[in-house]
Amino acid sequence: MNKTDYRDMWVYIEHDGKTIQTVSLELCSEVRKLCDASGEKLAAVVISGLPQSELDKIFDAGIDKLIIVSGTGYEPFNVDAYTHLFTVLCRKYRPSAVFVGGTINGRDFAPRFACRLPTGCTSDATQLVYNPESGDIEFIEPAVGGKMMAVITVPFMRPQVGTIRPGTFKYQPTGRREPEIIRETVDFPPDQIRTKILSFTPDEADDSLNIADAEVIVCVGSGIKGADSLPRYRKLASLLGGKLGCTRPVFDRGILPFKLVIGQSGIVVKPKLYLAFGVSGAVNHVTGFADSEKVVAINKDPDAAIFHYCDYGIIGDMDEICDLMIRRLEAAEAEAAV
Amino acid sequence: MAKYNKLTQVVAEELQAIVGKQRFSAGDSIKPDYAHDEMPIYGKVLPEAVCLAESTEEIAAIMKVCSREKIPVTVRGAGTGLVGGCVPVCGGIVLSTEKMNRILEYDMRNLCVRIQPGVLLCDLAADALAHGVMYPPDPGEKTATVGGNVSTNAGGMRAVKYGVTRDYVLAMTVVLPSGEVIQLGKSVCKTSSGYNLLHLMIGSEGTLGIITELTLKLIPKPEKDVTLMLPFHDIATAIAAVPSIKLANLDPQSIEFAERDVIDSSAEFTGNHIFPTVVNGKEAGAYILVTLVGNSEQELVPKMDRLGKIAEQTGAYDTLVIWTDTLKKDVWAARSAFLTVIEAQSKLLDEMDVVVPVDKIAPFLVFVHEQADQYGVYIKSFGHAGDGNLHIYCCSNDLEEDEFKKRVKKLMDASYAKCAEFGGQVSGEHAIGHAKKQYLRESVGETVYGLMTQIKTVFDPDAILNPGKVCHDLEGGAESC
Amino acid sequence: MLKILCCIKQVPDVNLVKIDPETGSLIRQGVPSILNPLDTNALEAAVSVKEQLGGEVTCITMGPDMAEEALRECLAAGADHAVLLSDRAFANADTLATSYVICSAARQLGQFDLIFCGKESLDGATGQMASQLAERFDASLLSGVLNICDICEEQKTVLAERELENGIEKTEATLPCLITVEKTNFHPRIPNLKSWKNSRTAEILRFNSHTIPELDPSQIGDPGSPTKVPRTYPPEVGESGLILQEGSPEKDVDRLFSLLKDVL
Repeated sequence: MNKTDYRDMWVYIEHDGKTIQTVSLELCSEVRKLCDASGEKLAAVVISGLPQSELDKIFDAGIDKLIIVSGTGYEPFNVDAYTHLFTVLCRKYRPSAVFVGGTINGRDFAPRFACRLPTGCTSDATQLVYNPESGDIEFIEPAVGGKMMAVITVPFMRPQVGTIRPGTFKYQPTGRREPEIIRETVDFPPDQIRTKILSFTPDEADDSLNIADAEVIVCVGSGIKGADSLPRYRKLASLLGGKLGCTRPVFDRGILPFKLVIGQSGIVVKPKLYLAFGVSGAVNHVTGFADSEKVVAINKDPDAAIFHYCDYGIIGDMDEICDLMIRRLEAAEAEAAV
Repeated sequence: MAKYNKLTQVVAEELQAIVGKQRFSAGDSIKPDYAHDEMPIYGKVLPEAVCLAESTEEIAAIMKVCSREKIPVTVRGAGTGLVGGCVPVCGGIVLSTEKMNRILEYDMRNLCVRIQPGVLLCDLAADALAHGVMYPPDPGEKTATVGGNVSTNAGGMRAVKYGVTRDYVLAMTVVLPSGEVIQLGKSVCKTSSGYNLLHLMIGSEGTLGIITELTLKLIPKPEKDVTLMLPFHDIATAIAAVPSIKLANLDPQSIEFAERDVIDSSAEFTGNHIFPTVVNGKEAGAYILVTLVGNSEQELVPKMDRLGKIAEQTGAYDTLVIWTDTLKKDVWAARSAFLTVIEAQSKLLDEMDVVVPVDKIAPFLVFVHEQADQYGVYIKSFGHAGDGNLHIYCCSNDLEEDEFKKRVKKLMDASYAKCAEFGGQVSGEHAIGHAKKQYLRESVGETVYGLMTQIKTVFDPDAILNPGKVCHDLEGGAESC
Repeated sequence: MLKILCCIKQVPDVNLVKIDPETGSLIRQGVPSILNPLDTNALEAAVSVKEQLGGEVTCITMGPDMAEEALRECLAAGADHAVLLSDRAFANADTLATSYVICSAARQLGQFDLIFCGKESLDGATGQMASQLAERFDASLLSGVLNICDICEEQKTVLAERELENGIEKTEATLPCLITVEKTNFHPRIPNLKSWKNSRTAEILRFNSHTIPELDPSQIGDPGSPTKVPRTYPPEVGESGLILQEGSPEKDVDRLFSLLKDVL
């Protein structure tokens, strides 16, 4: 394989017919930088129709090409049709890289078409760097439970496929170019779809589980004694007008649901204030809150790594500090009421 | 007439000069934790000052000042006690050993280790294993200090095989109330050399002298261990199996029991569902956990087979094998969480740490549950089935504290009387403190209690060490001092 | 009779891995190897399907000889057969090469109706194996399954509930189907004595690169792995934040509130 035969970086635009998943926009902005570094073109791949107002968002991210695909078999999402489609498109257009949002759907089909092509696939990179010497993208991510950083490359195969978690990068409109529009029709026979969705029951609207855009986050880490310590942290979060989140080990212990996990394998948040209680500071968690405006860490271990990622730190018992903060806030509220 | 003197500004400065400003606090700057242990229901009392000592010499100097001034001194480790042992009921100073947390030296040829008393049990246990040896005592509270373990003669799960803390103390350095420093014991395993003051110090709860250094016995680390879990219909059938297990010559390291409702609370609290609740289609009501150790898998298998047979004969629903590190971690994490879970789920809490003959465990538990029903509190219990040491928690979430105390007092009075009737002990490993004094006195009788009191006077004529504890009575109650 | 495959992995307990502060490299010595935690949930799902509907569960892994211990753990927890794929030539494989070897070996054992694997591994944590194994086995994929509601052997379908980002989807998939499960309803079991004893002496079927027929050497191990790890480095650690040491927790909190007054 000659790597130079493969040009352009693609971003798959995931959407529900009405709105684009934020992660796809974030990827457009980040991959724009890679393309600027490598001199390649940025292409967005959209399947089926989208309102113009949504397409505008992709244009604003500075894409050079828009590949619009129509055909049978893509609605609703299924792994079989999407795997087939990307295999066909990659063989035809030979992109150098394909980026897919690390949603449940994205993680279901991206490694699969990579396997079918075949080529290399990486997941959950937290930094993307173009190496001009090798012409490869360096997918950089925390490894071994966040104890070290690993650089992953796909040096001999193309395209380089990567799934990236929502929130890892920022969507920054950079100004429009006039993108070339390419229309493709690829039909996938519906009778070859191996899964059939019989019903969908949306989660009860529980706003507390939607923490991605919270302005204040109270995060509890593995220092938490157990589920019964949670009410005080919920209370603190509510007094601050914020939400409760947690680290991966807290989910592993069954204390809080996965939707509240902040970090590389969970949600990435960017609040104004991030309060980390009993959080050790493993890098795979740190990547989940690194863009917060102010970070406060409370930990009883003075050597905890978290103190290197905070603005202010308190060495002490997490429950005690939380209770003291609640008391302060309640006193202030009572005063305001008078 | 005040028996003790208050800490004056001058004396406070003298004490501060001994430990330095960083390790001295007085008045408002004292952390509230120093007023209580893990059983705040027995009362909270703040000391007048807290000294964080770092050496025998500092403690000797502090004691010289305090004996001269007649200021009470209450020694404190990690504050994880359950009988108010470290609560300074007469004020004075709290002398904390938390900074004396160094493991000083291993002597591998003689299999012993020298440590400061403030070393945490979990740290010593892990460090010993890293050195290829084992410190056998294994009390449930891993963040207690070893000094505290010695002062209460803590037991723990492995006592069935290895004995209790007492059996692993070879020697110690002690500061007497006068400030004089003495050495007790030697790094050898036998002695027939006069009264054994070393063993008098062990379990004396800081009322006779202050332990400032310890030499502890170690053993080679066993190569393999396995825990077998036996689920039963109810606690009575579970406990009924214990004598057969003990007679089977398995030399188990521990035999523990747990009741279903504690397991359920623990699972709910920790999210750890490792204890199966339905076994072979039957609801388990109680569990026995037996840990076996050996030097190879081949050595363990025949013992496991024997235990399996006993399980069948005694009506266990199955014999489950906890062999992998992951399962062991999950099971012992659930087991270690019991007390934390009970504490977290109960607003009001009191406890008993009685020891009864193994065949009396079930009737005793039945009796306590009946009492609890009568007085409107609820019971959570777990403990060491192998030696009859029961941890029984009386809890309430809806009673007022005064009403709760009144009711629990009646329950306790009846239960300790029952325990005595069964030939049991007031405390297996949590000690007496000030919470269980009355029951100790009733249990041992006036003559023995009198001897204890006289021993206290020999060591501590002015009664400045941990006043009001074990066998020391405050004339006119705590208010008088 | 359902033929069920469960793909598992032995991993170092990364929580116990330490970094050499001098060299920045991993200290693997003394770190225990365990059965990948999420694989225990996959195995429990596989075994519970077998117990309800009949069938056989085969566990398969690629790894060094000591991975045998992880397979024995699976046998104790209810698997019927265990297969170890071990060869120096398999080393340094990424998910593409691993899925190739596992599928090639499994083909020797017949056609599987259901294939289970853990959602991700503790060490690599790519979470890609499920998707790529499904491709290799030419199977449908149900990821994040909460409940397996029904399996119809005649129609060759499986009905399951999956947990998605914003709700629960009920999906029917054709067999063969690859399934990953959420751990919510599949708590690993403790084996009983009989099952444990059998697992200690049970025969483990072994394959190496020569005994798997028609194995393409260019698709295994390092040569068959398109992703490479050219370098690793310790995470960059910035300067410590301002540690508040005002003498007491109350005062620390007071200071914090004054520092945060613009934010709060």
